Amino acid sequence: MMNRGCRGHLPTRSRREFLKNFGLGLGTLALGDLLLRDGFAADAIAENPLARRTPHFPAKAKHVIFLFMQGGPSHLETFDPKPAMAKYDGQLLPESLRDFDLAQINTADAKILAPIFPFRKYGESGLEISDLFPELAEHADKLAVIRSCYHELFIHGSALTMMHSGTQLMAHPSVGAWVVYGLGCESDNLPAYVAMTDKIFRNGAATYNSGFLPAVYQGTYLRTEGAPIQNLRRPAGLDAHEQQQLLDQINHWNRRHRSQRPLDSRLDARIANYELAFRMQSAAPELIRISEETKATRALYGVDDGPTANFGKMCLLARRMVERGVRYIHLVNNDWDAHSECKARHQTQARQVDRPIAGLLADLQQRGLLESTLIVWGGEFGRTPIRQGNRGRDHHPYGFSVWMAGGGIRGGRTIGATDDFGFRAIDDKVHVNDLHATMLSLLGLDHERLTYLFEGRERRLTDVGGENDLSRRLTAWV
Amino acid sequence: MLVRLLLCLVGFASLSVGLEHAALGDDADMPWSFRRPTRPAVPGTDQSTSGERARNPIDAFILAKLEEAGLAPAPTADKHTLVRRAYFDLLGLPPTPEQVERFVKDSSVDAWRNLIDELLRSKHYGERWGRHWLDVARYADSGGFEGDMAYPNAWRYRDYVVRSFNRDTPYNIFVQEQIAGDELWPDNMDLDPKRVYIVAPEKLRHLEARLGTGLYGFGPRVSESALDARRFQYETLTDWVDTTGSVFLGLTIGCARCHEHKFDPISQDDYYAMQAIFTSSIEVDVPVHSTMETVTWQGSYPQILLVHEARRAYQLFQQRTAGRALTEQEKAEDTRLRDTIVKNVMALLDTNPSVPHTAFDPLMQIPRATVLGHDRTELVKPVYFLERGELYRPQQEMKPALPESLAEATDRKAEVTGPFGSRRELALWLTRVDHPLTARVMVNRIWQWHFGQGIVATPNDFGQNGVPPTHPKLLDWLATEFVARGWSVKEMHRLIMRSDTWRMSSRFGNDEHRELDPDNRLLWRMNRRRLEAEALWDAVHATAGTINLKTGGRPAVPPLAEDEIAALRVKSHWPVSGDPAEHTRRGLYILVLRNFRFPMFDVFDAPVSSVSCPQRDVTTVATQALWSLNSPSVYRQAKQLAGRVVSESGDEPDAWVERLWMIALARPISDEEKQESIRFLDALADGPNKDQQIRETLRECPQSLTTLPRPQAAALVKLCLTLYNINEFAFVD
Repeated sequence: MMNRGCRGHLPTRSRREFLKNFGLGLGTLALGDLLLRDGFAADAIAENPLARRTPHFPAKAKHVIFLFMQGGPSHLETFDPKPAMAKYDGQLLPESLRDFDLAQINTADAKILAPIFPFRKYGESGLEISDLFPELAEHADKLAVIRSCYHELFIHGSALTMMHSGTQLMAHPSVGAWVVYGLGCESDNLPAYVAMTDKIFRNGAATYNSGFLPAVYQGTYLRTEGAPIQNLRRPAGLDAHEQQQLLDQINHWNRRHRSQRPLDSRLDARIANYELAFRMQSAAPELIRISEETKATRALYGVDDGPTANFGKMCLLARRMVERGVRYIHLVNNDWDAHSECKARHQTQARQVDRPIAGLLADLQQRGLLESTLIVWGGEFGRTPIRQGNRGRDHHPYGFSVWMAGGGIRGGRTIGATDDFGFRAIDDKVHVNDLHATMLSLLGLDHERLTYLFEGRERRLTDVGGENDLSRRLTAWV
Repeated sequence: MLVRLLLCLVGFASLSVGLEHAALGDDADMPWSFRRPTRPAVPGTDQSTSGERARNPIDAFILAKLEEAGLAPAPTADKHTLVRRAYFDLLGLPPTPEQVERFVKDSSVDAWRNLIDELLRSKHYGERWGRHWLDVARYADSGGFEGDMAYPNAWRYRDYVVRSFNRDTPYNIFVQEQIAGDELWPDNMDLDPKRVYIVAPEKLRHLEARLGTGLYGFGPRVSESALDARRFQYETLTDWVDTTGSVFLGLTIGCARCHEHKFDPISQDDYYAMQAIFTSSIEVDVPVHSTMETVTWQGSYPQILLVHEARRAYQLFQQRTAGRALTEQEKAEDTRLRDTIVKNVMALLDTNPSVPHTAFDPLMQIPRATVLGHDRTELVKPVYFLERGELYRPQQEMKPALPESLAEATDRKAEVTGPFGSRRELALWLTRVDHPLTARVMVNRIWQWHFGQGIVATPNDFGQNGVPPTHPKLLDWLATEFVARGWSVKEMHRLIMRSDTWRMSSRFGNDEHRELDPDNRLLWRMNRRRLEAEALWDAVHATAGTINLKTGGRPAVPPLAEDEIAALRVKSHWPVSGDPAEHTRRGLYILVLRNFRFPMFDVFDAPVSSVSCPQRDVTTVATQALWSLNSPSVYRQAKQLAGRVVSESGDEPDAWVERLWMIALARPISDEEKQESIRFLDALADGPNKDQQIRETLRECPQSLTTLPRPQAAALVKLCLTLYNINEFAFVD
């Protein structure tokens, strides 16, 4: 899709202009191309930019749940075993690794910290997972662990921006915004893209914003307590019956107003939106009513158990959203930033997420939703193999682990590797752009064709990268 | 007047020079916009079809194209439509019923002209058009990213912009001030030795010019980048150069940082040479009052210390008694210590004896502005050409220079002096009367803000990849006219708004129009526009009669509902204004955090403000409807509007709805609507068993509503809420 302006000007685009822009044989095929190919009138997207759209090629997954571990979980304590490091504990790094920038410690004189938790092999595949995740380990055969993720940003702000939008610059759309831009919405009464957090979004709304894409593609922040969406509750003094009366009157006057004004579809769009808003008022509270789930399901996610209650509820809601057609769900678990007590920090965090994530995988599978739902787990970076203070680890972007499951992925395998110290990704390196290209691919979107013209350039989620698209390998039987 | 005349002469003289040299720029590789504008002849039109309409040159250009395309233009809009359109266009506020009346009844030939002049004299004009400029200037009160650090002085630039529009500062001066105010008007604020308490007007003039450079003081910034001075400077220069390109040149040059710009003749060399223009500059804080204020602040210092010491004493007490119940004696001590803090805080001065009548708070910074200044010579960092834009791949050192091909287009060598004074040269070059971009880019912006779309549809991209102008001759005619009229923005408003083109109806169009020009690129009718976030906010509060029209000052921070503030990470970043009157200030004055937009603005497409935004999105999302329908703040205003209606029109429902329509929609109610609204009021008032609802609705309602039967009062509130939700309220025809 071509667009202009700071964040485009979608609703007034005409079919003719679409055709004109796409007929020029630009190097990349834009989304509009596929719309037309699939018999979509550009007018339709202009009127409803959230209309469901056919992807570039057959998709493995229709939904995404990104389990984001904010703060940066240590790859060495989770999914990247380095048993040989034990003998170097307390020593300096080899010369070749002493020239890297880190946030707070000096690579040249800091000492190695051996991995804290033992790893075991699980499932038929024998995938290695640390003792931090006993319940998730039961699902080892579902997980594809990418051990060679990397970027070069070692502070939270920029690293988060990179993970969420594929660049470190502000005002670029988040992954979810790109996905909804490419695929549209499947729900008639819920937002297409939802973000939730158990505490904060460290980068604020930039975590789920639409950047230069039109604002319809931005994520909606859904809260687990109180009113899930802003202004969802009627004002005190207006009951449902009266609101219906109001809406009827608004509708009546709007339709007359419209009938006197030829050629302006925005007025129709606004009329339709009042209907959607009305439906959301009941659909969103219904969505978060998890009291109606069975005891067994609640137990599966640990919803009623102190440490897991918060994230468990979010994972359960994610499943309910998938069932209701929400396209992209971003869940944030906070506080993985283990600068001082790496061991205790990781134990606390893993305790919060292990059961909920295991529950989510089991529940999606038993409901037949796992095949169509891509699960991604990771943080903004890993952690240093060297010590910060005595028992901590600093931020580490040069090699870290992310895993994927569901969405057609054949699990029980690893991709890529870091060096002997878990310092740098060395084999089959997967940049954040590659990770994003893989996600888009699994959704049936070609990262080079999903473009948007902004500030004179056809922009992509993957910037100029994304060559190492893993989707084919991840979905093929080994 | 003389100045104006001189400017005209200079303008025309240079333009004719431009004509002679047009051949120089006649390079096939050069985009149209790099060639100097030449003054085109105003087209003649077929009088039989256009008749009187072509009396304004703008109309002649527009009609010529329409005739060519075989499209009929819309008739002129009615007076009610025009007056509402004019108020929103120039002031961003709805007209009051009296203002509507006055114009509609004025049958004199000058009625329209007088209305425009009156609106252009309003101090609220600068707030409306200043806000447009702030979009382009990527204005914000914080740096964004994780830290979202505050820019406590950014608002001084905002106020400077408002003043500049109100004063109609010639655009060339406006540009010069923003790029090089400090180099062109370098005087400082030292006191005039002969008149100790008074700062000479010339000095104030210089200070005002320097405030313009505040543009460079509020870019997006990663606070942790400060860990690495080189990176911090690089990111800053990148923002400065990209912003300069987008705002003044109307060229998106940021891409040239990493690679040769694919479509524009701006090379990577040009890009880093531009960075070299800015590298000797740093942000500095300058006092905006005389030195006496500093002295007063120093005089207050012992009192500030008292506050500090009282706080310290209480902190120690708290540490001492932490984690246990207080004894009776300690409770008394607790109260005494807290009272001491309050007493000392309240004892601080609140006016500055040396600058009477100005607000003063010794706890706050001495009033300062963040502007550009010069780094110390020995600290000026060299700028290198960076391979692929990567900081750690420096190649050759760059000298400050203008973009090569553009300099050539103006017959000027690209080199500029450095390290200091190069911004001055950039500014003077940009504002040459024969500069191919500056005037075109600005008249296109003005046009776009009047019509909803530019003659060039990509206002920040006049390069090869932008959309070519729909009316190239009109654009050049306007650009040359702009310069000839002394770069006066207000003159351009007069010119445009007096045209028939601007006054066309928007309620027009047939199949032919749909077929041939569905996007109205040729302007066969006026574009209907949805109110922008701020204008909608202002319209709700203005009609409710609650708007606080105070101008200027520190950002206002209205309270947020609990579900609105939930997304804000550090709650203290939204410090709600203590004075409730601040909560209903115009939208322009509401705090702009890059990391957390005011939720209502967020929903209604306010810009992201990390890069220059030349044109806002207009989206339609359900959360907008939810805001208008359900937000406590709209409901509060609906109550106020109902109160206003009753107090202005008496006890009769007929009179209420007549008044309500005039206030909210600036037009008389139709008979049909009158019947419908009365019926609606009755239905609401007669609903079954609703004491509880009515009590809730009438909570905190204005005095005038309390005199009515309660069900009726509650029904009127709901009718007012209905009006806030209809399309006619949110759109301007």
